[in-house]
Amino acid sequence: MTLTRAQAEDFLFHEAELLDDWLLEEWADLYTDKSVYEVASPSCEDPVNADPDNTLFLISDRIDRIRGRAKRLLKPTAHAEFPRSKTRHMVSNVRVVSSDDGTTRTRANFAVFRTKEDTSTVYMGEMHHTIVEDGGALRILSKRCILDLNSLYNQGRLTIIL
Amino acid sequence: MALYDPVNSSLVDANPEKGTFRVHRDAYRSDEVFKQEKELIFSKCWLYLGHESELEKKGDFRSRRVGGRDLIFIKDKKGVDRAFYNTCTHRAAKICRVAKGNARTFTCPYHGWVFSSEGELKSQNASTGYVEGINDDGHLDLRPVERLEDYRGFYFVNFNPNAISLHDYLADARSAIDALCDQTEGRQIILSGDHSYTIRANYKLLCENSYDGYHLFPVHASYFDYLKDQMAGTEGEKLIEQALKSYNTAGQARALGNGHAILDSFVPTGRPVAQWLPSLGLDTKDEVEAKYASLVERYGQDRADYIANTQKNLVIFPNLVINDILSCTVRTIEPESENFIRVHAWAMGPEDESEKLRAIRLDNFVSFLGPAGFGSPDDIEMLEICQDAAGHTPLEWSEISKGFGKADDPLVAEGPPDDEIQMQAYWTMWDRVMRGIETLEEK
Repeated sequence: MTLTRAQAEDFLFHEAELLDDWLLEEWADLYTDKSVYEVASPSCEDPVNADPDNTLFLISDRIDRIRGRAKRLLKPTAHAEFPRSKTRHMVSNVRVVSSDDGTTRTRANFAVFRTKEDTSTVYMGEMHHTIVEDGGALRILSKRCILDLNSLYNQGRLTIIL
Repeated sequence: MALYDPVNSSLVDANPEKGTFRVHRDAYRSDEVFKQEKELIFSKCWLYLGHESELEKKGDFRSRRVGGRDLIFIKDKKGVDRAFYNTCTHRAAKICRVAKGNARTFTCPYHGWVFSSEGELKSQNASTGYVEGINDDGHLDLRPVERLEDYRGFYFVNFNPNAISLHDYLADARSAIDALCDQTEGRQIILSGDHSYTIRANYKLLCENSYDGYHLFPVHASYFDYLKDQMAGTEGEKLIEQALKSYNTAGQARALGNGHAILDSFVPTGRPVAQWLPSLGLDTKDEVEAKYASLVERYGQDRADYIANTQKNLVIFPNLVINDILSCTVRTIEPESENFIRVHAWAMGPEDESEKLRAIRLDNFVSFLGPAGFGSPDDIEMLEICQDAAGHTPLEWSEISKGFGKADDPLVAEGPPDDEIQMQAYWTMWDRVMRGIETLEEK
């Protein structure tokens, strides 16, 4: 089965909801043992095709670090997220780019609003997902976020999950 | 709160009899002090501009802010590396408005003046009305930075024409740079990509943090938890426990003269050059061990062990950090005000390393060192809460006494990794420059 736009949209909304509810381990469960979660550096010249093996990314997590990131961020010793940020993930303009053989590739626009203590910032851009069916459930094989930023001068850092 | 008076008082209070070394918090929070620093520190010290490997082809350029000045760093068409102020000599407009590129000339967007890569004014667009030969003395050429010098490919600028040489300024920090460059028979290069972010704290707080061994366990507990999870059930797990237990005693913090200092420590994450640990993966063992053997052959056992096995956190006064640890960062700290900084960080690695090791090096960087990693954001949080609280409490002094008094001159002291002697060296230099005791000028 391949996904319709509406099904893909529902799935991406579900991922966003888990993140905004800080259900991070449930979020990590959306990923498979072969998954990657990546955020290209704002200065990256070709963020869609860049390879984190030879270019510095902001985030390039394989599954161990996806799970490790979720686990770490829930600890009070993850000082950067204690007290925790409030986040609001807005996902829009969802498009199914291609689908075959149980794999659906999507592109979507995103804006994530983050409030930490009394400072609010926004991370915006486009995200590319590859979604697969795995044991009867939908899972994310890869997610790459491409920020519409030239630096993190306004945001400072990136400690939430986009 | 007391306002800093550079003539009659010092913001650094070193008292050997009491064993205390204190820094007045105005040094972090006062706008007045920051204004003086711009004049006395950032106009007199050597400031890192960029690395030669960033300019490979003739015409390659980078635009950078260094010490509050926007500069163009360029390899001109003859192959000479140069640095100019990024301003048109006509009416001041910035002539370069992109971060990087390749150019034979720069054209000012305002009135169309054209400058060559060597800085010469080539065209005034319409030159009628100007007297003939108006630029015969070159005063309308791009203004080069007063001094531009490099040490092993690391380019620094100095806005003081009378400054001592970069070579003398770096003092023993040269040997720390050597230990980085000598890792490879080829050369070290800046790798593709960078990180640029901001911190709402004073630049000196990040300098302190960058080689502060004392904060490692409280601030990075969650990172070590993560490492232990990753290594659970492997032989790497035991190594982590051992390395963490001996952390405080196994290495050394050393002042290198002129306010520079280094922390040499042992942290249980492998180094692509040239310390193989299980965390690097079995398939890299032969390659990393071959690199180690090559180091022994070239430099002898002791130097090879130092180059390969110690994690080095180097701060070159006043604002360059080179963390040659599980990966290698070159990081500049650009102060925008007394409580706001821009950080620019690059990954460095040997040009001749394999794809596999390059990938591990970058992965290590992303895991811990970047603004989205598992380490730096926790450090940044600490700096911001220090800055915030220092700004609104009546406490006047910060305590930086750990290990104080090991040498008569803090600029050349040494101690265990969790001492604060590296910061004492920094602050001693800072104090001497701010009070004019040290001018950093040729006599």
